[in-house]
Amino acid sequence: MSTLYALAKARAADSGFATQASTVRHVHLAERPLVLIALTFAGEANAPLAAMAGDTPESARLLVVTQPRNRDERFAFAAELAEIVTGYLGECESALRAELSGADEGGAGHGEPPGAFWQKFPQVIVPNEATIGFLRLLGRSTRLRRPDGPYPVDPAVPVLGRWLTFLAERAELPGSSLLVAATQALALHWATGQSAVEDRNLAAVLGWIDPPAGLTGRAAAAAAENPVTGPPAGPATDPTFDNEVLAPLIAACGRTEIGSAQRQRAVLSLQDSIGAVLAPSWRLVWRSVELLRGLTPGRTVSLRAESDLAAFLKYGEYLRDGGTPQPRRDSAVAAARRLSSLEQAQASYAAQRAFDDPLVLAGYRLTGEAFGGSVVAADPARLGGSGKRRMLRPLVTVETLDVVRVGPGDKLVSPARPRQSAVVMSVSPLAGARSAVELELSGGMGRSLVAAPGSVPAVGERLCYTTLTDSYQVSGAFPERESTPWTHGGPPPVYVPVPDDAVEAWS
Amino acid sequence: MTAEMEALERRMDSLQAEVRRAMVAGDRDLARALRAELNECRSQWEASLTELEGQAPEPAGSHGAQGPILPVREQVHQVLTLLGAPAAPKLVIAIHDALFAGLLPGARLTSLRRDEERSFRSAPYARPYYICAALTAELLSPARGLLAVSTWPMDRRIVGPLSPRVDFLTAAIRVAERFRDLYRGNSGVSPESRRLLWRFAANIPRAAQSASTINPDEIIVAARAELAVHERADSEQRAESALRARAQLDDAEQLFGTGLRLSRLTSADG
Amino acid sequence: MNAVESRLEHIRGRVAPKSHNARTIAALTSNPGCARRAIMDAAGVDKQRLAAYSGFPAPFGQSQFAITRGNAFEAQVKANGCAELLRLLREHLGLSIPEVSYDDLNDVGGNTGLVVRHVRTRSLLARAVNSGSDAGTLFDHPLLRLQVAGRPVFLEPDLIAFQLGGRFHVVEIKSFAVIDGQADGDKVAAAVIQSAVYVHALRELLAGHGMAEDAVADEVVLVCPENFSNAPTAALLDVRKQLTVLRRQLARLASIESLLDVLPADLTFDLGMDDDGVPSRSPAELRDAIFTVDARYAPECLASCEMCFLCRHEAQGRTETLGREVRDELGAIDSIAAVLGLADGTLAPADDQAEAAGLLRAAARLRRECTGEAA
Repeated sequence: MSTLYALAKARAADSGFATQASTVRHVHLAERPLVLIALTFAGEANAPLAAMAGDTPESARLLVVTQPRNRDERFAFAAELAEIVTGYLGECESALRAELSGADEGGAGHGEPPGAFWQKFPQVIVPNEATIGFLRLLGRSTRLRRPDGPYPVDPAVPVLGRWLTFLAERAELPGSSLLVAATQALALHWATGQSAVEDRNLAAVLGWIDPPAGLTGRAAAAAAENPVTGPPAGPATDPTFDNEVLAPLIAACGRTEIGSAQRQRAVLSLQDSIGAVLAPSWRLVWRSVELLRGLTPGRTVSLRAESDLAAFLKYGEYLRDGGTPQPRRDSAVAAARRLSSLEQAQASYAAQRAFDDPLVLAGYRLTGEAFGGSVVAADPARLGGSGKRRMLRPLVTVETLDVVRVGPGDKLVSPARPRQSAVVMSVSPLAGARSAVELELSGGMGRSLVAAPGSVPAVGERLCYTTLTDSYQVSGAFPERESTPWTHGGPPPVYVPVPDDAVEAWS
Repeated sequence: MTAEMEALERRMDSLQAEVRRAMVAGDRDLARALRAELNECRSQWEASLTELEGQAPEPAGSHGAQGPILPVREQVHQVLTLLGAPAAPKLVIAIHDALFAGLLPGARLTSLRRDEERSFRSAPYARPYYICAALTAELLSPARGLLAVSTWPMDRRIVGPLSPRVDFLTAAIRVAERFRDLYRGNSGVSPESRRLLWRFAANIPRAAQSASTINPDEIIVAARAELAVHERADSEQRAESALRARAQLDDAEQLFGTGLRLSRLTSADG
Repeated sequence: MNAVESRLEHIRGRVAPKSHNARTIAALTSNPGCARRAIMDAAGVDKQRLAAYSGFPAPFGQSQFAITRGNAFEAQVKANGCAELLRLLREHLGLSIPEVSYDDLNDVGGNTGLVVRHVRTRSLLARAVNSGSDAGTLFDHPLLRLQVAGRPVFLEPDLIAFQLGGRFHVVEIKSFAVIDGQADGDKVAAAVIQSAVYVHALRELLAGHGMAEDAVADEVVLVCPENFSNAPTAALLDVRKQLTVLRRQLARLASIESLLDVLPADLTFDLGMDDDGVPSRSPAELRDAIFTVDARYAPECLASCEMCFLCRHEAQGRTETLGREVRDELGAIDSIAAVLGLADGTLAPADDQAEAAGLLRAAARLRRECTGEAA
């Protein structure tokens, strides 16, 4: 949260319509994402009730559990969901691999992935963060199951569990786009006139951003809060829906005999009711995708997507090589390593977004971690050092209205010239709350002692400098597994799934 | 026919929405009225459904031809005799399912004690035994949700503060003994039976390490060890209350307990 | 009836007061500074009905599936002489083997009357305290009583265990799962504050028998299903902080007089029901009556108070509707119009707003520069 975003929210609250919170898109969008909406059965630990999924707005598939308290039906649901999710991921994976081997034969080398590559980017889009939580727990409850032994499940079930766990863990990585919550993606690009609590409701958020004709965003958001006309996007259902609609229908399914016409009718009724509750959210998620597609992607979006792809392919390979499922809990070293990589990703993502998006960078200008203004003086031919060690070290002076919190010796970089570094020589206050910052530049100007044309900012050019960097941080040194210190439990045993994992009750 | 059902379904949908709105509005009277109308619609719909099928839907809880082999009271008597202590219907059903043939319909157990009392009051001692109540030690009122057998000595049917644990341990010993006898020299204990034994063993100190290494003898030893801690205090309390019950209660009250007498409550408080 | 009570009764109007339970008392602590809520709760107003009638119904309610599951789990943990619960208390809290005594307080000789059960609860707990070791360990559904805003409220904890370190422990049985050692934070927080209500009520009861506060542990035992199974697990939770908040809010309700003093003498939330139970009061007039009592709206109210939509509507145009964090970023200025006025330079800052105004102007300038947004 920055003052800038807060101001955007204040403007939205005042005007009744959402305001812009970024100038580019920061999330990668697949050409063919899998949209997934899930409902749970109240009171039980992550018991699935229903799901709607599909990779085009027209191809919604509805899964419904008619007896959510029944363990067998839960696993049958998991198997059906596996068909959709694992099926989708598998298609992406084999297409990507085919693309990769084709590229190798064609001698495309190791540059940018070819365009066709992006068509197969695997991406699961869910309505909200709570659904990510649901998928994480569904992964947890299915990945350790076995297709053999005392409580056998469909072989697809543990595979689904591993993929869901992979996706949910990846979703914690800032800037990853493999599993995306629509509410979060929208909040990154638009500011609504409501609070963060209310921003968890997808229908309300879209109300602010994209109200129906004739309504203000505020009015549309308020209308979306009526659970009877605007059912929640899950995973929790509305209690009055449970009590008045679901309970009699589930009872009717239980009362009728399997295979009878009554049962068929009762199941159909249940499916219709649940389908009706999911349909509005289905449309809203696809509308979110459409709105986000309308934004121009930032420059580093594809970089992060590439690393998503690499992680995805690596995990697919690991699974095919018979890799064990993720353990119930991380070992001490794995947890520390993971935390460190999340922190790194967070810092790098923040910097990338600021470099891509002037509006995000403006947040840093407000706090003094960046400033922007016009070049008022430039000495592009200045040389530093002496004799053979003379180097091109141009000087530029930038005049800014921003608050300047950097001082001589600080190293800065400009998003316009990310490979050039700038060292602050002096900061002088000017009249009218302005400041002049003199900078010495190095790098990004070619090899000769004369700067390549355009490589040194010219007088009159407007640009920003910031202390943010997106350089690779050397990761903290973590002990190898076998030398985990005793303070952290000593070397953890290699995780081998035990039979009890597979028979853990899910009831 | 189908058009009629679809009309009913539409009507049900809109009624449901109205009920939900009324509930959100906190207007319970309106919700109640709407729900009545909704239920009317729903039963019409179900009637149409039945016609559609050409046969009546099975009533709840029935499982076709597979009825109980014995009358319910005899099935319950079997189980209670095995356990040797008052037990809740849930436990009775679990034991029955694991160890006896046939089905014990759970719904019938709720009214069993009342039916037995009615039978006893209209013709005392006409049956060799009755499924009756356990009595609370202090007030001699029927203990909530427990079944017992009329031919047991009175003190066995008394429930004092320690008795629930004592009875649980007693039942554990009896069930384990039964398993030991059934499966002597035979390792083929079914997973269901193993689960039942584990439900006892898991809650008794040192009775078993895990569900897969369960051994009836260990359960018996462990349960007896804990039982020895509670037994004396429990049986003293029970004996005292049994004496009082026999002196103060008439025959029917001795079997089915007595309602609250405030004088007794006050004196118990004193 | 004293003056305060008759005032409150007039405010509530001609309907029976809503009775409190641990959940509603716990909810009192979620926004202690709100006078509107304090007055309504003290008067026993049916907030859901009032909110709906004034045109702002808020969806609150519990799914019957959740209720069924909660009851089933509790029954299971207590089945067979609390067999599972005893194991947990022995394993996690060192309850000794002889301590298995169980008293069922769900009824007294078949009588489920609240007063009878409360009397019985009091006498059994007092006996346990006075005679020490062998007079009771587990008390199933004891019935406690607490004064809330001058009215008695009966409260029914799932279970009270005595003799854990010589003290009473409140045991709360909840059916939300603890998965790999983690549970839903909101649900745990709700369980903790509800347990604190029971701890407080139990202390009040024992104080009547001359017992010091520490006779009741300020750690409660939370029992929940583990992972995806029905097998229970237990954890000890410290409720000291919640007890402090709770006591403060109960004291505030007890001294409701000072809040009443500033309200018009004829204030009432009566709906003007006719003989058929049809309300005759105009919703607008009711709203005006409600607005005479100050509210302190925050987005957190949406999770805990039935009046939330009405209060949010009333608070429109104020920064608190955007959440505390946003409000703080905006220099804690109340009015959104003022924020924008300062940002666009159309409003001169007051002395204490100079710093905030500077930041807002800079933010507005940067937004204009980046988005072309008009002032």
